[in-house]
This record gives sequence, structure tokens and C-alpha cells, in this order.
Amino acid sequence: MAQMVTSGTSPEGPRPSYMYKVVLLGSMSVGKSSLAYRYVKNDFRELLPTVGCSFFTQVLELDEATVKFEIWDTAGQEKYQSVCHLYYRDAHAALLVYDIANKQTFSRAKLWLEELEKKFLPDEIVIALVGNKTDLAAEREVTTEEGEDFARTKGLLFMETSAKSNHQVNDVFMAIVQELLRREKEKAPRPSPHGRSTVDLRASGARTRCCRS
Amino acid sequence: MNLKSERRGIHVDQSELLCKKGCGYYGNPAWQGFCSKCWREEYHKARQKQIQEDWELAERLQREEEEAYASSQSTQGAQSLTFSKFEEKKTNEKTRKVTTVKKFFTASSRAGAKKALAGKLKEIQEAKAPSPSIHRQASIETDRVSKEFIEFIRTYQKPGQDIYKQCKLFLDTMSHKRDLSIEEQSECAQDFYQNVADRLQTRWKVPPEKVEKAMDEVEKYIMTRQYKYVFCPETTDDEKKDLAVQKRIRALHWVTPQMLCVPVSEEIPEVSDMVVKAITDIIEMDSKRVPRDKLACITKCSKHIFNAIKITKNEPASADDFLPTLIYIVLKGNPPRLQSNIQYITRFCNPSRLMTGEDGYYFTNLCCAVAFIEKLDAQSLNLSQEDFDRFMTGQTSPKKQESDSFSPDVCLGVKQMCKSLDLLSQLNERQERIVSEAKKLEKDLIDWTDGITKEVEDIVEKYPLEIKPKSQALAAIDSENVENDKLPPPLQPQVYAG
Ligand SMILES: Nc1nc2c(ncn2[C@@H]2O[C@H](COP(=O)(O)OP(=O)(O)O)[C@@H](O)[C@H]2O)c(=O)[nH]1
Ligand SMILES: [Mg+2]
Ligand SMILES: [Zn+2]
Repeated sequence: MAQMVTSGTSPEGPRPSYMYKVVLLGSMSVGKSSLAYRYVKNDFRELLPTVGCSFFTQVLELDEATVKFEIWDTAGQEKYQSVCHLYYRDAHAALLVYDIANKQTFSRAKLWLEELEKKFLPDEIVIALVGNKTDLAAEREVTTEEGEDFARTKGLLFMETSAKSNHQVNDVFMAIVQELLRREKEKAPRPSPHGRSTVDLRASGARTRCCRS
Repeated sequence: MNLKSERRGIHVDQSELLCKKGCGYYGNPAWQGFCSKCWREEYHKARQKQIQEDWELAERLQREEEEAYASSQSTQGAQSLTFSKFEEKKTNEKTRKVTTVKKFFTASSRAGAKKALAGKLKEIQEAKAPSPSIHRQASIETDRVSKEFIEFIRTYQKPGQDIYKQCKLFLDTMSHKRDLSIEEQSECAQDFYQNVADRLQTRWKVPPEKVEKAMDEVEKYIMTRQYKYVFCPETTDDEKKDLAVQKRIRALHWVTPQMLCVPVSEEIPEVSDMVVKAITDIIEMDSKRVPRDKLACITKCSKHIFNAIKITKNEPASADDFLPTLIYIVLKGNPPRLQSNIQYITRFCNPSRLMTGEDGYYFTNLCCAVAFIEKLDAQSLNLSQEDFDRFMTGQTSPKKQESDSFSPDVCLGVKQMCKSLDLLSQLNERQERIVSEAKKLEKDLIDWTDGITKEVEDIVEKYPLEIKPKSQALAAIDSENVENDKLPPPLQPQVYAG
């Protein structure tokens, strides 16, 4: 079940704790599930040995805050794309994943971005473009520059990873946390005494809506 | 195996969902199986009797709650006195505060009660009250929930009192706001959740995990009471949407797991067991009144789905496996009032439960499944448009084309039987083939002998055997031996003795 966001138990003062929802988007077989799995497992938080592998949580104890990630994996089959916008409702961050050895997945990532841009204002969500499978360098179809350039023009975080060889997987999520916390400071001169202020509350403009409207 | 009976149970549930009058709309247990419209017609006369009963019931409830409160107050007072050992000076002040709060609380709740009763009367006159028996049953549960709630917030002491007061106030306010649109009422509920949580955090400094727990109880308390006014309200087209989804799912009865690429093989008894459980869970959702309890049903269903996939594939399921299987479960179960339930949860669930957490994840998946079912077309099932249309119109069923794919409703035993029958008929066919081959062989043999005979006859006819006179032929060898009679007589065999 959903775990509580507990504020840091450190007695030296209130350290804010935040909960962020991160969705994984991208074509089928680009490595979304593998990235989440690698990330959650490698930080040796016990991977919930539950039956399912599509909803992950990860708690980060950082100096400035406690961050709980909720990682939502999505069904990547093309036929479900029309309903996928339901997944990223109220998300704080999105990982836009493509396979560097498959040009088509890069184009699909661009389409995903257009979808996201329809639903979110730029400052409402942190988006990271992730070129996965760098271990397949010999079969590369998308150059690092292509990815970088696209990310720059769209104002996205960018990183190339390999879930297989554990290359920069952690870094992607760290970059996202840093960006989220930076925005947190920027927008909140008001002190939030109990930490949960930004999470599920109306600051996110997330008054529940009909799921299909 | 009890699979069959369980499934039949589900099926009966389904058919009983429609309005008893047969108008085609959904019935509702709260309306004794009628739809909202028929209910109003049917029970127009009976309602006057209820006014009196409702008065009594409401008054009794109010009395009990106040008594429960009074007793909670006294225990709390005793507690604060024991603690006051250490702070002698503050004791008086504290006790005074407690009594003031108590007074304030009691007075306001009484006023609230009057208003609530007035509201209740009004609404009875609007003929929305359910029949006495159902009403009693529901109110027993409401009663129980109230008692539990009071017991729970007693453990929160002062903040608990505050919560209770807020809840009463909210319910009272809402009883005057029934004319508002459902979205506005939802807004009120969301604001209320927000305010209570804020108050607990900032004013009462309650730690986050205790806030969360309290909020769950608050939701349970207020939504148990609000349910009948805000679930599938007449002012919306929720009921119509329910019917549309229901029809749509029925029309898709022919969809097989293979078409959806569902990674679950129901031939494995454990898997089929999980599938039945998942279906039961998702159907059960409709019977819950509290949004969070409904969410819990969805989560339970999802866990069973994950188990089914895990057993089939022998590895943990991913999102790619989960969504198709959930779609399949929804198609197979055709859960009652799907849209109403989704809308109700969306509008009145505590947002921290809905937007985040595992429950929220599974709820979102359910929304995706329903949206997918509504949009589903030939392409999403890897069918040609013609096939899809023919299946949709019921001209053909995929079952007749591929003997392998059974309709989703067929249970294991029946499947086994069908397979055996299939085998038997194959056997029968082979035997018939053997008999006919044997007959053919027999015929061939006969034909062959006949043919030979005929051939021989033909040949005989063609080359007739000319038999020369007998004597001549026999004498032929010796006939020219003219001096035959000059030869000595042939030797006679002799017996030698000795
Ligand atoms: N070589 C290589 N293969 C990967 C990598 N990440 C994932 N894969 C493989 O790609 C396939 C699809 O991965 P999956 O995580 O299921 O992709 P998803 O459909 O996006 O969730 C699997 O066979 C993975 O083993 C990677 O970084 N390098
Ligand atoms: Mg995946
Ligand atoms: Zn009716």
C-alpha cells in the first residue's frame, strides 16, 4: 500500500520531505522497466519482492531533504498510447526514454513530448530525455549530439544510459531530484513547516478530474 | 472444482443489476433494485410514513453521539489531570479550556443536529428517501461507522474533538448544498479534506503519519453518510454512461485473451483461480460505500492479476503485461456501474490516496482499461475491419473459426469436455474412414476377380481352344508302328520266392 511520507526523523530540525511522481514513457522495449528496476535495485533499497514490477518507490535521504520517488511504469504498446495520458496526470517528472540503436524510438519520443506539452506548462513538470542502451554502441542510430540538441531546444534534461551495464542510471534520477528541488526553492519562499506542502495538495493544480475529461 | 458455481454467481449478479421494472437502466440496491426514476414513481406514496421514522432515527443517533462524546470528554479530563502532576500551575487553566471547548462543541453540534434534521425532512419531501427496510439496514452500518469514528478520534484527544466538529459542520453544510452540481459538491469535499489535514498539521502539530490515518477515518465517516446523495446522482449522466459501458462490454463478449495478448493461461488451475478472484474483487468494488474501500478492491484485484501473470510466465509481471490483463478482467467481469464508481472515487476520495501511492497507480490503470475498452477497434485486436465488424454484429463468432479459442466464459471442465469430444469425433471420423476404406478394398478385390475372369473369358473367346478328336490324338505316337503286332507280348512281373 501507499507508504507514508515521513519527515526526516532528525532531531536537529525540520528537514522537508517531498514525494514526487515520476512516469516512464517511451516505445516498447526501449528499456523503461529495466531502468526503473536497475535504479531501485541498485540503490540497495530492498526491491519490494512483491509480485508486480510496474510501480516502484525509492526513498532518498539527501542533505537538504528527504525525497520519495514514486515511479510509474507504463504499458508501451502502441495501441495503448491513446489512453496513456491518464498515467502522467499529476506527475512531477517524466522520463522520456528511447533506444539509441533504434531511430524510430527517438521519433516516438518526440511525439510523446508533444503530448506532454499539451497537458503541462513547462514549469509544471521536469522532463528528462533518456537515450538508453549505450552498451550497443556498434548499432547506434541516434548520435549523442542529436539527442543533446533536441533536448536543449526543448529545455529538457538529457542523459544517455545503459540499464544493462548500469551506466548513468542513478545520475538520471539524481539530475531529476536536483531540478525538482531547485524548482521547489524557487517557487516556495513560504516555509512549509511539515514538508508535504507540494505533494498532493492543490499547489499542483491537481484538483481531481474525471479521468476522461 | 467450485469454479463453475462461483462464475454462475457472478453472472446472476450481472443480470440482477438492471432496474426491476425492466426499463433498461441500472437498478440500485439503495432503490430496492429500481432505477432512480422508477424508484421515485413506485415509492411516491410510501414516503409519508417514513418521515416519522426518520425523525426518531436521527434523534436517537444524535443522542447516542452526544452521549459517546460526553463519556469521551470525561475520560480525557481524567487523563489531563493525571498528567498535570508535573505542571500544577497550568492545571486550572487547562481544565477550564477543556470545558469551554466541550461547551462550545455541544452547543454547536446541537444546532447542527437541528439543521441536519431540517435538511433531512426537506430531502424526504423531495422523495429521495429509500424504503424503510433498506434505510434501516444502511443506517445500522452508518451507525456502526459513527461509533467507530468516535472511538477512533477519542485517541486523538483535543485535535480529535476538533476533527469531529469539523466533520459535523461539513455534513451539515452539505445537507444544504444538495442542489449544487456534483462538481461543486466534489470541490467542497476536496476543500474539506484539505482544511482538516492543514488544521491537524499546522494548528495541532499532529505528525504526518497520524494525519494520514485520521484523514482515512474522516473520509470513511463523511462518505458513509454522503454516499447516497453523491453516488451516481440524478443530476449527472453517470447512469447513462454506466449503461453504455455495460452494453459495450457485452458487445465485446467474443474477445479472446489471445486477441488482447494476455499473458495468462487459464488452463493452469491456479491461474484460473486467480482470474476468478480478480473478477470477484473488481465486481465487489460496487458494494463499498467509502471511496478508499473501493480503491482497496481495485488494488486487491490487481494483486491477483499480478499473481496470475507471475504463475503463467514464471517471472514478475511488468506494466506491459498488467494493462492487457486488467482489460481482459474488466471485459470478462463486466463490473457493475463502472463509470459511476470511477467518477465517485475521483470526486470524493481523499486526494492524497488517489493521486499517489500504489492504490492510485492501480486506479489509474483501471481508468486506462475503461478508456481503452471504449475506444477499442479492429486494429487494437489485430483483426481485419471485416472480421471485427462481423464479430461485433454477431454474424460470426471467432469460436467457430478457430476451435482452439473458447469464449471467455467457458470454465475449465467444459473446456476439457469440449476437447475430449473433439478427440472422440476425430476418432469416429477415422474409424469411418477405415470402414469405408475396407469396403473399398473389398469392392476392389471383387472387381479385380471379376476383371480377371472377364479378361480370361475374352481371351478364351478370342483364341478358342480347338480340341482334336480324342482317338487320333492318343494313338498318334504309335499309330505309325505298323509292325506292332509282330512284337512279343510285354513281360509279366514275377514273384521270386526265397
Ligand atoms: N543492450 C541493452 N539492452 C537493454 C537495455 N535496457 C533494456 N534492455 C533490453 O531491452 C528489452 C526491453 O527492455 P524493457 O525494460 O522490457 O523495455 P520496456 O518495454 O521499455 O519496459 C529487454 O530485453 C532488455 O533486456 C540496455 O541498456 N542495454
Ligand atoms: Mg516495460
Ligand atoms: Zn427503471
